[in-house]
Amino acid sequence: MRAIAASLPTPEPAGDVRVERREPGLHAVSFFAMASPCEVLIETRDSELARELGAAAAQEAWRVERKFSRYRDDSVLTAINRSAGRPLEVDAETAALIDFAAECHRLSEGMFDVTSGILRRVWKFDGSARLPEPADVAALLPFIGFHRLHWAPPVIALPQGMELDFGGIGKEYAVDRALDAVCAMFNGAVLVNFGGDLRTSGAPRGAPWRVGIERPDTEREARMLLDLSQGALATSGDTRRFLIRDGIRYGHILDPHSGWPVRDAPRSVTVAAGTCTEAGMFASFAILQGAGAEAYLAEQDVRYWCLR
Amino acid sequence: MQLKKSKRSVRSALMAASCALIAAPAIRAQSPDESADGDWQADSALLYYKENQGRVQAIEPVVSLAKDFGDEHVLGLKLTYDSLSGGSPNGALPSHSAQTFATPSGSSLTAPTGGTQTYTTPSGREVAQLERVTLYTTQPGSIPLDPNFHDQRVALSASWQQPLGAATRFTAGADLSHEMDFMSAGGNAAIAHDFNNKNTTLSLGANFEADAIRPIGGVPIGGSDYVLLEKGGNETKTVGGGQLGLTQVFSRHWLAQLNYSYDNSRGYQTDPYKILSVIDAGGNAVGYRFEARPTARARQSLYLENKFAIGRDVLDFSLRYLKDDWGIRSQTAELRYRWDLANGAYVEPHVRYYKQNAADFYNLYLNAADPLPQFMSADPRLASFKGTTFGVKLGMPLSDSSELSVRVEQYQQTAQDVPLAFGQLQGLDLNPGLKSLVVQFGFRFRF
Repeated sequence: MRAIAASLPTPEPAGDVRVERREPGLHAVSFFAMASPCEVLIETRDSELARELGAAAAQEAWRVERKFSRYRDDSVLTAINRSAGRPLEVDAETAALIDFAAECHRLSEGMFDVTSGILRRVWKFDGSARLPEPADVAALLPFIGFHRLHWAPPVIALPQGMELDFGGIGKEYAVDRALDAVCAMFNGAVLVNFGGDLRTSGAPRGAPWRVGIERPDTEREARMLLDLSQGALATSGDTRRFLIRDGIRYGHILDPHSGWPVRDAPRSVTVAAGTCTEAGMFASFAILQGAGAEAYLAEQDVRYWCLR
Repeated sequence: MQLKKSKRSVRSALMAASCALIAAPAIRAQSPDESADGDWQADSALLYYKENQGRVQAIEPVVSLAKDFGDEHVLGLKLTYDSLSGGSPNGALPSHSAQTFATPSGSSLTAPTGGTQTYTTPSGREVAQLERVTLYTTQPGSIPLDPNFHDQRVALSASWQQPLGAATRFTAGADLSHEMDFMSAGGNAAIAHDFNNKNTTLSLGANFEADAIRPIGGVPIGGSDYVLLEKGGNETKTVGGGQLGLTQVFSRHWLAQLNYSYDNSRGYQTDPYKILSVIDAGGNAVGYRFEARPTARARQSLYLENKFAIGRDVLDFSLRYLKDDWGIRSQTAELRYRWDLANGAYVEPHVRYYKQNAADFYNLYLNAADPLPQFMSADPRLASFKGTTFGVKLGMPLSDSSELSVRVEQYQQTAQDVPLAFGQLQGLDLNPGLKSLVVQFGFRFRF
């Protein structure tokens, strides 16, 4: 009854790792993964060591991307999405991610839903005034809802027409994994930053990392400067993705229950937490609250920054 | 929408869930399904089978190996060794006096002394004329068992599976089996095609088998007098068959499979070691005859299996109906429930019920007054009986890539429609049925 998720040989990811000495005793390794510029800051004078550690972080980022990308034909996620209702046995890491998605679905009372990605088929956030037909949105709703899929670890059966999308978890998860990979080889201070979602193993020689968070409003170039000596920061929201019609701004955060954008959501929410995954989830949960985002975060007793 | 959970519960639950996620395996290690590529998966098992009252005992080690060459190209190999010992009913009825038989079977034959010899019992009754023979005596009241029933079997099978296009799979296999007095070689091929977004699978298969039956001293003439031990040469049998299967996924929780199979065997189907008692009007055994079975048998079976996912557990229920042109009709119902425990361990209780009626030519004994029928057998496997199996299997993962299991099953077979004992047969249990126990240890690993 069980099929094993196809594990095709994957080509080595094509990607360059660039090492640069930022200041005495601090190297930056940069590469590109998950559609984002990525950077690993390493407190060392040794450029070769920095390259080696940065490459380990990059390999981990590319591994997670290869495994969970919905754009790749050979990813585990694609195998699940093409299973067409047939039960599929997944590996332990995928199982842990699905477990995590289930817990997030429960904790957010259904607002955070990894099955809601199919709404992208009707919502194109290109700054235009083209809203989808309400009937087209409604037609997708029967295929959205984590409770509709059958999850009996390690076997998943995804009803036909439904899709999983780990886009809301993947980058933050990769940050945590990449930091683990580097820390397994190195005891010094490291900061892993994948497109603004970041986590550090600790501050270099007592002085905290100074992290600049760009305001999404690019014209004003305003930045928030945060001091970070431990833990993680993650940001949810993107001001460049919206539709405007009749003076109403439709942001790209969609409510999986209605299929329509969450009203009055902040443009972006940044949360500090112990791990990047946790910070990212809080930011997502908050933005899904719409007008209630700040109140929700205040109640959760976490450090946060909302931009409206 | 507002979240109604208390603030602490969300924060601590999310923190716990995030930690669990990151602490999960595959910290830069390859995930199991990636590392599985190119590895051998080995299943090894040691089975111990024992029938009650000193009947057959078997020890059977099995090793199966499977290797995935990628893209669903899978090679399977299986090696089985059986060592059988103990006594098997020879078909004769029990008696109030001791009965002496001559076994033509297996390795128990004594050294030849040359020339045909007549064997007689201490009471002077002639039991056999043969060059080589071993005598055995059954105590009064006991079902006659041939105590020299021991044999070794080695069987090897290989299979290859590969996709043919996107929705079709092809499987081919070959088997070889060798015993001292029996050899078998076979081949099979099947093709399966997925329809309806892989919710429906239709499969079509064919198989062929050729057997050589070479009892030591030759095959007895069917229906001949046991005392004369008239022997022919070696015999052969061929079996050809086909299967048609339909698998349907009805929902996330329900999968069903319906199979029809037909096979036709031609050639020697008689058990060369089985006899029948010839009973007179007073219930006395006046002689024995070798059994004789038809040289053709066509079998059809219909099999329905349902698998239900219930939470993390799996319920498996199947029914089988089989009929052949020897007049046997059998029904099987089987139920398994795989109950998932923590950490990948499981308990699987198993119940099976089996019922069959007798073959047309089955007779517990022959009447001395009746003319000799063309076909005759007193083999309990062709009788009318019911069988029940109760068992349980326990499985436990030892690591990510190995699992240990233990299976214990008890089987009880009860004869049906046993004729009333008369005369000298009164007070004897003519068909005492069978009890058996199976214990199997399994170890599965990857290397």
